[in-house]
Amino acid sequence: MYGWIWRHLPGNAFVRAIISLALVLGVVYLLFQYIFPWAEPLLPFNNVTVDEGMGAATGGVPR
Amino acid sequence: MTLRIVVRTFSEICVTVGTLIVLLVVYVLYWTGIRADSAMDDQMDTLTKRWATEDKDPGSTQNAAAEAGPPEALHDDRSYEGGKPFAVMYIPRFGADWRRPVLQGTGVGTLKKGLGHYAGTAALGGEGNFAVAGHRRTYGDPFKDFPRLRSGDVVVVNDGRAWYTYKISSRPYKTLPDDTGVLKPLPKPLDPGAAPYDRPGRYLTLTTCEPEWGSSHRLITWAHLDEVKAASEGKPAVLGGAGG
Repeated sequence: MYGWIWRHLPGNAFVRAIISLALVLGVVYLLFQYIFPWAEPLLPFNNVTVDEGMGAATGGVPR
Repeated sequence: MTLRIVVRTFSEICVTVGTLIVLLVVYVLYWTGIRADSAMDDQMDTLTKRWATEDKDPGSTQNAAAEAGPPEALHDDRSYEGGKPFAVMYIPRFGADWRRPVLQGTGVGTLKKGLGHYAGTAALGGEGNFAVAGHRRTYGDPFKDFPRLRSGDVVVVNDGRAWYTYKISSRPYKTLPDDTGVLKPLPKPLDPGAAPYDRPGRYLTLTTCEPEWGSSHRLITWAHLDEVKAASEGKPAVLGGAGG
């Protein structure tokens, strides 16, 4: 997979290295900006409220 | 030859997954904290600016009410705009410079920016139960030291008009996530022995998750309103203020 990408990049080894670095940074940016924020609520650290049994005396507590 | 490709591809996938996991840990442990710090600073700035403009209007009824002494029904819940900050909370037990904005609502996005006031619970300083939720871990770890709270610790909340000092009544109480009775105007937890008060009053409830990195339980602490001071009188003595 990585070998295939390397072989299909243009230029000499130096140019390929620069492009690879840019690709890696781009992937990390996408992960931090979009993918992890989406995945993070699926992890358990976000549940800090008491909820369910909605509407006791509180008139419904949002998540 | 084919076996070689299979093995190589498998190793590459393993390395990729490992890298992803490391990156996710970095994101959860550090990046959310960095983001939360800047978001909290923004919320604090919003509040400071809003309060500065309110101060220029001393004739407003809200200021007059705050200066008239302890508020009866100074403001009701509807005066808080969802997702917006309306107060700053100080808990000296968590550190002398520990302060966090309190926002209206407990949505996932709101709690990333600060503490969240449960919609539908009492207003700050009001009769009933002013309930606030906060992250224990991630997003700046606001309630990291929650289990260290003890009876007699103070929770001070400033909404720009007054300083409300609440005194914590007991050690944190561990309960189940669906124990909404803890938010009632007169808190009524599942374990009747943990009920902190026996008559209606002006209370504060803090909730966070338990265990630290899990979600199987919740930690709850209750406090009762001890003192109200107009904002113009300066910080309460418990925060190192002059007055007292």
